[in-house]
Amino acid sequence: MIIALCSTGDAMESPVDERFGRAAYFLFYNTITSEMVSVINEAKTAKGGAGALAVQLLVNNKAELLIAPEVGPQALDALKKFKIPAFKQGENTTPELAVLAWGNGSLEMIKDPGNKGLHKV
Amino acid sequence: MMKIAVLSGKGGTGKTTVSNNLAALNSDAILLDCDVEEPNSHIFMNPRIKGDEDVAKDYPVIDEEKCVHCGECARFCHYNAIISGPSATITMKEICHSCRGCALVCQHDAITYKQREIGKIYSGTSRFGTELVYGELKTGELSGVPIINKIREMTGEEHSILIDSPPGTACSTVAAVEDCDYALIVTEPTPFGVSDMKMVVEMLRTMKIPFSVIINKAWLGDREVYDYCREENLEILGEIPFDRDIAEAYSTGKLIVECDPKYEDIFQSLWNKIHFIGERIHGC
Repeated sequence: MIIALCSTGDAMESPVDERFGRAAYFLFYNTITSEMVSVINEAKTAKGGAGALAVQLLVNNKAELLIAPEVGPQALDALKKFKIPAFKQGENTTPELAVLAWGNGSLEMIKDPGNKGLHKV
Repeated sequence: MMKIAVLSGKGGTGKTTVSNNLAALNSDAILLDCDVEEPNSHIFMNPRIKGDEDVAKDYPVIDEEKCVHCGECARFCHYNAIISGPSATITMKEICHSCRGCALVCQHDAITYKQREIGKIYSGTSRFGTELVYGELKTGELSGVPIINKIREMTGEEHSILIDSPPGTACSTVAAVEDCDYALIVTEPTPFGVSDMKMVVEMLRTMKIPFSVIINKAWLGDREVYDYCREENLEILGEIPFDRDIAEAYSTGKLIVECDPKYEDIFQSLWNKIHFIGERIHGC
């Protein structure tokens, strides 16, 4: 399974990013091969629709699961349509720790949208 | 006749005060409140509404039967309003800017458009006899540009047009100001007033719209705005003093020209100066 993570750097030991749509990097961690691919998040500087563009990036990189601080309403809808479940990274400080926590089953699933971006409806 | 935009950069410097007082004194002008996110001219002009019109915007709908999820539309969309993956292609109608480009690049004829209402336009005659048109964007909507464009299309060339513009220098301000003959920057002598005004000056110069400056709340704050105008060779067309009477009138929905004849003189002379400049530069 490929897990997408929000990171401030390009390594599993980098501090996690506290934002989803405007995270600095997405790390795609393959739980079978233990390989990781880091991708600079081009949505970080998007004028609008950063959440949507970030979901597109996840889809392009074949992510099957997302671990994030929180996800906005538009992005959460989109993730549901692409059947990518999202989990809260919680107190985990690095992507590596977040993956371990997910493996232990200690991460909470994101069911409701968090911080609203541009579209405060 | 002249099309005059009243704008400011910073919010709360007096765009509505200037445009409404000018409109109240000149009943053959038409006032357009293009600050569709927070229109307030109708509060002072108190129009008898004669008509309203819905403003709708296109958004793309994907035909699941025809779509092969090639992703061409998603790659094309400048606003990231379409997400495409191997199993689905979805559109985000709130982010869409209705450019209709996605249907052009779709090779499978899978995109059509539906419309959704984003706001309303109201028009009527104010208690001063001046015609007022104003738009109202629905809460949560991203862009009022389609409403502003429609307001601008509704008026002809036979009357002087006064435009109460949105603050800032974003797309909605550009839409409100576009094709105007002249602009009035209403600023205040404060650091924020000057800082935001500089962006407006740059925008108007880029758009090649001649303009001058009105300093509201004069003698408050500091001298930076005067220094800036001198350095940039900007004409200060008038000053409105920082006066408690204006604030008191404003707080009860009244215009200062109704309360104090000295302001009638200030605004009428402003109107005359604008038209004198208009004749000089445009012959209108």
